[in-house]
Formats: sequence, C-alpha cells, structure tokens
Amino acid sequence: MSLDKTIKGLKTSFSKELSKSKTSQDLENFRIKYLGRNGQLASLFEEFNKLPVSEKPRFGKELNILKNELTNLYQNALRGNNENSVSSDIDFSLPGYKLPDGKIHPLEQITSEIKSIFQSIGFSVAYGPEIDDDYHNFEALNVPKHHPARDMQDTFFINPNAVLRTHTSNVQIHLMENQDPPLRHICCGRVFRNEAVSYKSFCLFNQVEGLVINETSSFAEMKGTLEYFVQEMFGKDTKMRFRPSYFPFTEPSAEVDIWNSKLNQWMEILGCGMVNPNVLSNVGYDNEKYQGFAFGLGIERIAMIKYGIKDIRLFYQNDKRFLEQF
Amino acid sequence: MKVSLHWLRRFVDFDLTATELAEKLTMRGFESEVVSDFDSLENLVVGDVLTAKKHPDADKLKLCSVSDGSETFSVVCGAPNVDAGQKIVFAKVGAVLPGNFKIGKAKIRGVESFGMICSERELGISEEHDGIMVLDESFNAGTPIKEVLGPLYNAIDIEVTPDKAFALSHRGIAREVATIVGSKLKTPINNVKLNPKTKDVISVELDKKGGCTRYIAGTMKGLKVGPSPKWLAEYLKSVGQKSINNLVDISNFMLLEIGHPTHVFDLKKLAKPAIKVSWAKKGEKFDALDEETYELSTDHMVITDTKNTVALAGIIGGMDSSVTDSTTEVLIESAYFDPVVIRKGSKKLNLLSEASRRFERGTDSNAALEAFNMIVQLMQEVAGGTLESMITDECSMSLDNTSVDLSSEKLLKYAGQEIASKDIDSILKGLHIDAKKTKTGWNCSIPTFRTDLKVETDLIEEVFRLYGYDNIKSSFNYSSIMQYANDEESTISSLKHHLSSLGFHQSYNNSLEDIEEVKLFGKDAVSVMNPSSERMNTLRTNLHSGLLKNLDFNYRNGSANTLIYEYGTIFEGKTDKLDDITQKSSLSCLVHGDLFSKNVHFDSIPASFSFLKGVASNIFEDKRLGIKVKFSEQKHHYCDPYFSIIDGKKQVIGGLGIIKDSLLKQLDIAHKHEVVIFDIDPEIFTNYGSYSTKVEDIVTFPIVQRDLNFKMDSSIQVGDVVKTMKSINQSILQNVIPVDIYQSKDTSSKDILFSLNFQSAKKTLEDNDVNSIITEIINIVSKKFNAKLRDN
Repeated sequence: MSLDKTIKGLKTSFSKELSKSKTSQDLENFRIKYLGRNGQLASLFEEFNKLPVSEKPRFGKELNILKNELTNLYQNALRGNNENSVSSDIDFSLPGYKLPDGKIHPLEQITSEIKSIFQSIGFSVAYGPEIDDDYHNFEALNVPKHHPARDMQDTFFINPNAVLRTHTSNVQIHLMENQDPPLRHICCGRVFRNEAVSYKSFCLFNQVEGLVINETSSFAEMKGTLEYFVQEMFGKDTKMRFRPSYFPFTEPSAEVDIWNSKLNQWMEILGCGMVNPNVLSNVGYDNEKYQGFAFGLGIERIAMIKYGIKDIRLFYQNDKRFLEQF
Repeated sequence: MKVSLHWLRRFVDFDLTATELAEKLTMRGFESEVVSDFDSLENLVVGDVLTAKKHPDADKLKLCSVSDGSETFSVVCGAPNVDAGQKIVFAKVGAVLPGNFKIGKAKIRGVESFGMICSERELGISEEHDGIMVLDESFNAGTPIKEVLGPLYNAIDIEVTPDKAFALSHRGIAREVATIVGSKLKTPINNVKLNPKTKDVISVELDKKGGCTRYIAGTMKGLKVGPSPKWLAEYLKSVGQKSINNLVDISNFMLLEIGHPTHVFDLKKLAKPAIKVSWAKKGEKFDALDEETYELSTDHMVITDTKNTVALAGIIGGMDSSVTDSTTEVLIESAYFDPVVIRKGSKKLNLLSEASRRFERGTDSNAALEAFNMIVQLMQEVAGGTLESMITDECSMSLDNTSVDLSSEKLLKYAGQEIASKDIDSILKGLHIDAKKTKTGWNCSIPTFRTDLKVETDLIEEVFRLYGYDNIKSSFNYSSIMQYANDEESTISSLKHHLSSLGFHQSYNNSLEDIEEVKLFGKDAVSVMNPSSERMNTLRTNLHSGLLKNLDFNYRNGSANTLIYEYGTIFEGKTDKLDDITQKSSLSCLVHGDLFSKNVHFDSIPASFSFLKGVASNIFEDKRLGIKVKFSEQKHHYCDPYFSIIDGKKQVIGGLGIIKDSLLKQLDIAHKHEVVIFDIDPEIFTNYGSYSTKVEDIVTFPIVQRDLNFKMDSSIQVGDVVKTMKSINQSILQNVIPVDIYQSKDTSSKDILFSLNFQSAKKTLEDNDVNSIITEIINIVSKKFNAKLRDN
C-alpha cells in the first residue's frame, strides 16, 4: 500500500517543483531528479520489481500511466519554456541569409533552348573539332582555295592548311563522311572569325547548324522547319521572311529575317539553303538520289535580340552583375 | 556598290523611289540600303543666300540670311565657301537628313539659327564636306529639293554577293530591275562600226600557259585631254565619284556602266605599240598608278610593251605609262583574265581594285569587245580623237553561250511543290535565257554575262529567286520523333546544373589568349599564324587563365566572392601540325573569398580549399554515379598544394589545388584570399554513364552515436586517423567524422574529437556490439598514432 502513497506524493511534489522551474537549467536539473536514469521515477520502478507477482499487473499499469503523465507535464513545460525564449530572442525583421545562387551562362541557355526545339522535331546533336583542316572547313563545302567567297569569312590560320573553323559546317562534312543518309542533325559549338573586336563583333561566336539529307526534303520543308523554329523561339506571332542570298555550300540559299516591332525593322537571324550537290558528291553521296537542306544561326545574335543586349563582349567578360540577371 | 537611280534609268524605265527599289532588290537577293532618297525628304528647299556676314562672336562662322522664296531666315553656317547670291540646299527646321539627322532651332555662339545649309556629305551625295553644296543659279528659291536633286542623286548601296559577278554594273542591276517592273532593257550606246584610219596592226602576244584568254587592243590619236562634259561628270557624281578629266572619266564610266574593266596607256610612253602578256619575274619591282611600289612574284600576270612591265594584269596600271594632262595618243586594252590568276595576284599583294574585284569573279567574255568599242566611240565624241590602228582581238576562248538542262522533275523535287510551266518560261525569258522545251524540261542557252549559271541547281535558284521565296508554300508535317540528348550530353548538362545549384556561375571565356600569359601555365600551346591582336594570338591550354581573369575583373568591380566554372575546349600541340594538336573538352571551377559573408546570423564561411573539396565529394560521390575517388598529392606547375583525383580504375578524373601566389603576381590577379581550383575530366566523368540510380533499402534500426577524444602529435594528418578507424570495422561502423580540433598554443599536440556512427542493417545494436569495436579502435589508434584517449 505504501507504493500508492508514494505515487501520490511523487505527483504532488513533481507538479509543485515543475511550476518553479523557470530556466532551462532548472528544467534540466528537474529532469535528472525525477525522470533521469537514477531519478525518482526510476527508483519507483526498482521497487516495483521487488513486488510479489500478484500485485505486479495493477501497479505496472499505474506506474506506466504515471510515467506518461509526468513525461507529458515535463515536455509541456519544456515546450512552453522554449516558446517563450524563441519569441523573445529572435528579431524577425532581420534579413534572411541567402544561399549562393549560380546561373547558367545566357549563351548556354539559348543553345539549350534551340537544341530542345530541334530535338523535339527529330534532330540529333553532333559535335566536331574547332581546329580543322582547310578541306573540311572550306573545300569540301564547295569553297575552293582561290574563290572570292573566302572573303566572306575572315579566317584564323594555325598553319597554311589548318584553320580555326569559321563555321560549324565542318561537322556536317565529318558526319556525312562517317554515315549514310538519311541524316537529321544539328551541330553546335564555337566558331572563329578574324574580325576586329567591337560591341557588335567578337573574334569568336557560337553557332548552331542543322543538316537534313534524305531523298525528299525540299525547299518547302526547309521553310516549314525554320518557321516552326522561329515560332517556338520568338513566339507564334513572329513575322518572318525568306530572302535570297548566297552561300557556297547551299543553292538555292536564303537568309531569314524576323520583324522587330520595337526597332521597326527586319533583323537577320539565320542563313539556310538546299545543300549544294557538290558538297554531297564531295562526301561520296549520290547527289541525284539525295538532297536536303542546311541552316546556321548565331547564338550571340539571338541572345542579343531576345535579352536586349547591346554589346556582344558582355558574353565573354563574365561580369557577375551581368551573369546574375539570367 | 553605290548605284544611282539616274544611271539605272539609262537602261530601264521604272517608277520606284529609292526606298522601294532597295526593298525590291533586297527581296531578290541584292541586299540594299538607301543612300539618299530625296523623295522622302521634307522641308528641304532651294534657298537663296541674301547676305553672308561674319558671326559677331566666332571668326570661322558666318551669319546668313536665307530666303526660301517667301520668308527669310537667319542661319549660322560654318562653311568657308558660303557667299551672298548663292543658291543652296536649305534644310528648314523640321527637316530630317539621311542618317536620321534632325534639324531643329539652335543657338550657335549666342545667335539663333533657323535651319541649315547642307554639304554634299550631309545629303548623302558624296564625301564632300569642306564646304556647302552650291546649286545652279537658275533654280528658284523655294523649289522642293526632291525636284532639283532627286532626279540626279537618288541612290542606293547594294551588297553584291561573290557569285553575282553580272551585277557589278548599272546595266547588270538594270537587267534585274527590268524583271521586277516588267519593262524592256534599253541600249543607250549603239554599237557603230569603227573605221580605223590606218592599216597598222598592234601586235598582241598571249602567254601559252593561259591566264589571259582574250586581249583586244587598238590605238587612238589626236585626243585632247580636258574637263568632262556635264552629262559624264554628273553620272560619276551621282555615285559619289569626282570627275578627273575626260579620258580617265570615260574609263571609270565604262566600268560602272557595263562592268567590264579596261585600261588606257599613254601610247608615247610605251617602248613600242605592242603588247606581250606574260608572268612577272620573281622579285620584280613595279611602280603602280596608286604611287606604291610592289614587289611581284612569278604568280603575277603582267602586261609588257615587250620591254617593260606597263601594267599588273587585271589589277592596276603602271605609273610610267599612265595617262596625263599632256596625253594625245593612247593604247586601249580590253581583256579577259582568268579569275584565279587575278585572285591570287591581288591577294598576294593585298591589293584590291575595282578591276580585280570584277575579274576575280569572272567577267563576260563578249563584254571585252563591247567595252572596247564603246570606249573608242566615247573618246571620239568627248575627247575628239580618232581610231588609228586596226583592232587586234587575240582570243583563245569560246564566246558562245553555254547550255544547261533544267529538268521539271528536279525542280518539283527541290521546290516541294509545282511551279507552273508558263511561270518558268517567263522567268527564264526575263533572264535573257533562251530556253527550249524538251521532254523532261528545258534546254537553256546561257548568255555569256551570266558566268554564274553553270549547272542545273544554279538555274533552280534563279527560278526560285524570281518566282519569289514567299510564293513557295512551306510544308511541315513531322510525326514528331523526339530525339533525346545522348548520355554524355545529358551528364554534362546535369553536371552544369549541379554546379549552378551549388552556387557557381557559368563562365564563357575567350579561347584566344596572349602567348606570354599562356606560357606561364607551362604547356605546349598552339598559336594563330595571323592573329588580330597580340593579346589574342594563342589558344588556351587550360580554363584556369580565363577564370582567373574573371576573378580579377569582378574583384576590381567590387565583388571579391567568386564561385565560377567553365566548360570548354582546351588545346595543346607540340607543333602546329593537325596530327600533333589535341583539342578536348575540359571543366574547371574556381573559388575565392567567402561562400557566406559575415552577417548577423553567423560568421563568414570561406569558399576555401575544404569547400571545393566538399564540392568534389558532392559531384563524385553522387549516389547515382558512385565514383570512388582518392586524393593524391602531386607536384604542379602553378598550384601548391595540388591533388590529383584518382578514380577506382586509377584514372585521373580531376584535380584540386591552390594557385601559387607567384602565378597570381605574374598575371596581376586581384585577390585577398587563397584561390582554389577544381578540375573534372569530362571524358572520364561521362564514361560513368548518365545519372541513374538503383534504390537501396533504407535501414530503419537505430543509429548509435559515440564520441572519442584523442590527444596526438600536431603533425599527424586527421585524414589518416579517420581512414584507420574506418578500416577497423566495415559492417556496423558507418561513419567517422572529425568534429572538433583543439590546438593548444604552446604544445606540439592537438585534441581531436571524433564522432562515430554505428548502425546495423540486421538488428538493433546492443552496448556490447559497439563497445568491443570502440575498445579496438582505442587500442589501434593509441598505438599507431601514439595518441592518448582523453576523458570527455
């Protein structure tokens, strides 16, 4: 019977002392005294072990209820104590701490966007060397050594027979040399032009080129493909036009302009055309059987239009204040 | 090429403004810009300068009163030639000049000015800007300028692509305009029969090796050099050219009229009236018309008078034999030169002329005689001379039309739609192509002026071009077979996004750098033969140099904390031979400064070596890739220390190091903390496949955590201790983390607190399971590192 009394006494002193424990140190001392490994509750359980078997079920139940009750009381007190300290210690008007936030380069973002548009209509992505021989960069593409068309692209030479590619079209040749039609690829990467650096031209830029070769792809299909691209990239209502032009590796050739309603003028965004039969025969394709189209666009130019950037050099300066905006 | 509408009207009647014409030609493949369109200029009238007095406050300015016929305006003018009594071009307030130059009311040195008196340059007529343009006195003040200058000076600028040699003249463009407006081409100079005075024959000898396949020569005597007649000077002026004298003007006029270059020698200055076309001697010096001396090579074709070189064939004439004010007798040359010969010769000397530009693109073989005849006719008319000799025409080339077949099936296959046969007929006719219908399409007879039309696709392009690209309907009916990025590409893309999510900005740096800087990085670099600047003459051998420049730039612009990376191509090469050059992708990160700056919440957290090592762990130990790596210290050219990162297959998959101060100093990189770099070899990295995972069962048994505090010698590397501990038990000891290191100032030892986590996948651990391992760890660590366990 003494155990009953002990339980009651413990409850009373527990509540009394708990209400006096204010600081977290008080509460911790309190916990050790009552609920700790050698605390008062633990000694009650030790006494319980000594009880005869017949009494164990009743007291066991009571002790368990007691344990839960006291633990709850303590937890509530602890929580109340913490809540008080939280609301008094923290100034919620302080700025939060921002995690560092890295950005993907704008040219990479545009390239990815273009890649996924073309991937969605069945184009695969290919890459090739930035230094290449004269043959792959020029001759195979129907630009002979002493042809005025060479003036269209100011070239950096590594040696008299190797150049920093002036376009990613060299990848087209590598592709066709290694694989039979049909082909449906885009090639991306850096290309180089020996031009004076200014706000509108840099010594290199990024290009995406496309190539489609099979037995049927026509000028009409080229127009449809590029219209799809322009609408995906610049919006469904974009006004565009195909205008005759000249590239040695395509014939007929065209340039594509889109209407810039802010500047009230046409802006050239890409070049394209039906692959010149000489290019096909240079890689050993039967140019009576196969035909197709190619196109190329400059990433910087598109990024400048899309983001309203006025100086191309910003892309290669990597000013944090610039990169952070993307 | 500047094209005058006045000049075009010699050949074709059309009713288009300069702006409309530019637009139409652009859509035909001749990209055109308006130079001057007087029809669109408002508020420009003929002005009468009533008075011109000195400006009260400026010596070089004049204060004029200008009448527009009804009102008088006060205008300040800076031109030295302005004078009372002149008729001038008066831009009134509100006028907009070419180049969007708006005229408003202005106060110049304290005097109000209402409008401007224009120079030729301001009107887009020529480069003349030394004084104002003075008009003929007969014009009435107040007449709109478009009526006065429009008929003569409306002009556009055409960018002629290299294939369209036929378009490098007013006649060439007029042919195109005729197809646009649907009118006939006129012949302003009728070919009349020329009657030589004598039976003298000029001997012309061509080189047997080729290079010049037609050479027409003849002499004229009794010429009188003098100013050109008004009509001739006006045509030249309409494209911004100055009139020099009648003989020179005629030659220039013919070039722009029909596009065939000719040359006029002073006959008296030739050793004899004979021509030999041959090749220059190596190192031969040649004094050209442009007052330069050129050193020729055996690739250069020259014209000699059988003794001396008198012209660099197809490029430029010689000084000694040129026409002067005292010339009375001339030898006229009209020839056909091989495009490749001219191209090579002009490239070698970096000497481009109006003549070479046309010859290298291919001239019309028949135009040679036409041009010769026209020049003789014009000289007789304008300079009073007569044809003296017979006309020598040495010709070893075909002057006939060529023939090209156009198949209707191919045209259909190329267009992707039907183009009506009658449309094609009329297009070909407009191009002066004589097309005969065949079973399969057309047999086309190509006029010699269309040197660009050689094969079937050339004709297809012409048909499309004149039919209108807009009239070919687009088709788009893909049953969208989506292509996905391959594994390599998507792995690299995920890696970039991973780095950005960790706080890194992506950089794009120039591939071209300064060789002096590239050398500091100690690899064999590949240089460019013809750099545009010394700052950009060599290809980068690593990505660190660019990232260091980014650090420097941002630091100097107020941002010391830098987390950046670049993915790009780097180049190495023992020689400049393509086989010796390696070009491969690389990925490098650079950190400097703080990851977090000090703030009210906590102290700064540096973006340090340890941070970047953590990033490396994040990337390599990603569960989806599961790359096991070791860090192995190596000597490095510009890092100290530097650790190669080795994967389970003993491949160097990356590197981690601190850039040496010496390099930072040499490159003058602004910084205040250590600069740490981390590289990944993308090729090896992507060999681990794409990010994909097989999920392991989650262990739900409780974790038992124990702390151990050891005292040991300061020199001992904590990493070694951790490694030793981990090796003791691999089944339930899950992790050993050094939590705290306490280095007392005056002793050579340190206290390290390790936190050990135990967990079994099979059961709840008992004290005993853990205790035995703890005891073993204490024993081994104490012995191996001479460490002492400290009480908690």
